[in-house]
Amino acid sequence: MKPTLKKIYDWVNERVELDNLIEFMGKKYVPVHRHSVWYYFGGVSLFLFIIQVVTGILLLMYYKGSEDLAFESIQFLMSKVQFGWLIRSIHSWAANLFILTAMIHMFSVFFEKSYRKPREITWLTGMLMFFLAMGFGFSGYLLPWNELAFFATKVGTDIAGVLPLIGKPIMIFLRGGEEVTGATLSRFFGFHVAVFPGIFTVLLGVHLLLVQRQGMSEPMSFENTPAGERKTMPFFPNFLLRDLLLWLIVLNLLAILAVFFPWELGKKADAFAAAPAGIKPEWYFLFMFQSLKYIPGKLWIFDGEVLGILLFGVAGLLWMMVPFWDSKSARGEKNKFITYLGLFVVFYIIIFTIIGWIS
Amino acid sequence: MKQRLVILVAAAVCAALWSATAFAGDQCLTCHEALDDAQSKLFKSDIHFRKGLSCVDCHGGNPKSEDMEAAMSKKAGFIGVPKGDEISKICASCHSEAETMRRFGSQMPSNQWENLQTSVHGKLSTTGKEHILQCTTCHTSHGIVSVKNPASPVYPLNVVKTCSKCHSNAAYMRSYNPSLPVDQLDKYLTSIHGMKNAKGDAHTAECASCHGSHDIRSAKDVKSKVYATSLPATCANCHSNARTMKAYKIPTDQFEKFSRSVHGVTLLQKNDVAAPACNDCHGNHGAAPPGVESVSKVCGTCHALNADLFSASPHKKAFDDRKLPECETCHGNHEIVAATDKLLGVSPDAVCSRCHHDNESAKGYAVARTMRQLIDSLESSEQRARTLVDDAEQKGMEISEAKFKLRDARQARLQSRTMVHSFDEEKFRDVVGKGIVMASMVSEEGHRSIDEYYFRRVGLGIATVVITILAISLYLFIKRIERSQHQQ
Repeated sequence: MKPTLKKIYDWVNERVELDNLIEFMGKKYVPVHRHSVWYYFGGVSLFLFIIQVVTGILLLMYYKGSEDLAFESIQFLMSKVQFGWLIRSIHSWAANLFILTAMIHMFSVFFEKSYRKPREITWLTGMLMFFLAMGFGFSGYLLPWNELAFFATKVGTDIAGVLPLIGKPIMIFLRGGEEVTGATLSRFFGFHVAVFPGIFTVLLGVHLLLVQRQGMSEPMSFENTPAGERKTMPFFPNFLLRDLLLWLIVLNLLAILAVFFPWELGKKADAFAAAPAGIKPEWYFLFMFQSLKYIPGKLWIFDGEVLGILLFGVAGLLWMMVPFWDSKSARGEKNKFITYLGLFVVFYIIIFTIIGWIS
Repeated sequence: MKQRLVILVAAAVCAALWSATAFAGDQCLTCHEALDDAQSKLFKSDIHFRKGLSCVDCHGGNPKSEDMEAAMSKKAGFIGVPKGDEISKICASCHSEAETMRRFGSQMPSNQWENLQTSVHGKLSTTGKEHILQCTTCHTSHGIVSVKNPASPVYPLNVVKTCSKCHSNAAYMRSYNPSLPVDQLDKYLTSIHGMKNAKGDAHTAECASCHGSHDIRSAKDVKSKVYATSLPATCANCHSNARTMKAYKIPTDQFEKFSRSVHGVTLLQKNDVAAPACNDCHGNHGAAPPGVESVSKVCGTCHALNADLFSASPHKKAFDDRKLPECETCHGNHEIVAATDKLLGVSPDAVCSRCHHDNESAKGYAVARTMRQLIDSLESSEQRARTLVDDAEQKGMEISEAKFKLRDARQARLQSRTMVHSFDEEKFRDVVGKGIVMASMVSEEGHRSIDEYYFRRVGLGIATVVITILAISLYLFIKRIERSQHQQ
């Protein structure tokens, strides 16, 4: 290390004991096995979240969260502000990639059964962050106040409104009234830039702390492998540098997407205009939206749509609670049911998303 | 000749004998005539009397009884003077029966009562118990004669008077339709139709010619013959009929031309009732062709700005002096096509060149040529700007503001088309100039957006190269570290 850098390091080390941290990281090892590649999706998700925070703050400098000015402020940002178009496009693309990588990360953890004891809380915080990410997507989609966003929000909040007893109050709470108006925009803006980031930061802190404290989950096959044959790599610098390499690739991908496929702004929302044909939600809600279309209006004595929403709710809850009911994996035994269930869910989501996309 | 006279006298005697025999037993007429009753006298001239109908056919009773009370008793079926809808129902009992009418040798349609009920006159009257009109309101009761009979109140020369009994009565009309004018008759008398009708020409249009007779509907009713989209065809019934128009020596191609015109296409094909029909230019009840000096005023009811500019322009006096029909001189009348910039200028197909020649009236010629050049340059500037904006948009650039400004350029072009009617080069140049400036601004923004598009591509290329070099370096660095770790 160069003398100047060493001096700075020593100065900081004297105060915050960096040596201890480096020693801790130096002792941390990441298991190496045929599914190791999935470990990187957590890091990529984190990187994309950081990009969201940075680009989100930059967007906030120009965005005006009101019915009259929201669309115009984004229009101004995209046409007049230097690199405004780039920031918005990256924010929009990173948001989608973030949900995609978080989803891949979640499924990899699920298939590896890494949620088993002692990582139940890590799984729970991860799942809550995933739901929050979808909330980020849903609330952020409305903020440009364009035609598609307006009607997609109307449809989305309408779906919430059909739930018995709590549906209507939830819908009114989300919309800030009976209809999607400027009040809804203000509310969604508040959720998107204050409420959700606040909760997300706490959850992310706990999640990362637990990952560092408990280390990377080892595959179940490791338990039957003799200690000497278990392959590992140091977290620092090997894993961290590989993570960094992937981040650079993702950054490159983001730049290409933002330049070649700039996120369109569309037409300004008009509450009196007819809804555009074939209105669809964002891709990550598409499988649920498409499923609800297939459920008959009436199933025995139940309303089909209500039943569908409740089923998705129960399925989501069961999914989140998997560490507590998958006792086999907790005991270190193979649980094929979980694997088949996971495969079913993955194929279900893929098939219904494709149908929803092309229909 | 002598032989013919004998036959005629014999026929008259036979007819008198038949009549006497037929009504010999009709005590109704015998008594009512003896009482000097006007209705019974009128009935003698009624077409129904001549067809063999008697009082009992409408009023009931026993015509053979000499006892008045017995003859006019309910038992004998006497109904007295029918009231309200009963009147029309009695008429309809024969007139709605095709078979009955045929028996009397009539070819009349049998749907008058049906039509009357669905017409505007078939609505309930203020009493709420009967229709506004009954058959007798127009046809009278005991002296009914054929429509072709000049004595009939619905004969073409009399029908105007018959309708105006109610329609010129402001107090009466207020009860039913206060917004409906009551001056139709006055206007009609000033029209060509009205003047000819007043002179005894039974072939010119009167109320029923346009509005129909039993099936009259409100002009706002789409089924009405005078509803905007139906009116041209209604007028064409006579005006496109060469035989009818032969006597008046006027052309019969107006409807055909109108159908091809910008107004006709809008009205008849697009069903846009904002477009003018015949009456919007010629008037309806006071229909007459507009005078040469007032054409711009008539067109100006819709094209207000153009008309004002024209009236204040030097062309107004020049046209009036030469008895040229203002707007019509350049745009035509019934066959007005959508105006294009080609009308302007000095090329052979431009209308200006019909009067302005290079040698005779050089100033007008020069102005026309300059105005055409100006509007052409505005159009090409706008076109250039549009191409750039489309190109930038195609490239995915955010260019909505420029697109919005492009509308201003188009607006300026539309304004310049209006400003042509001032025939003032300076004013025209001002409007065109604004459009050209706007189009230039849009072009500039278009260029900037396209440049920005390529700048982004280059920027991305540089960024990608930098990130890729960084990634490769990092990869090599990782490999070096791992190699040194293995060696340890």
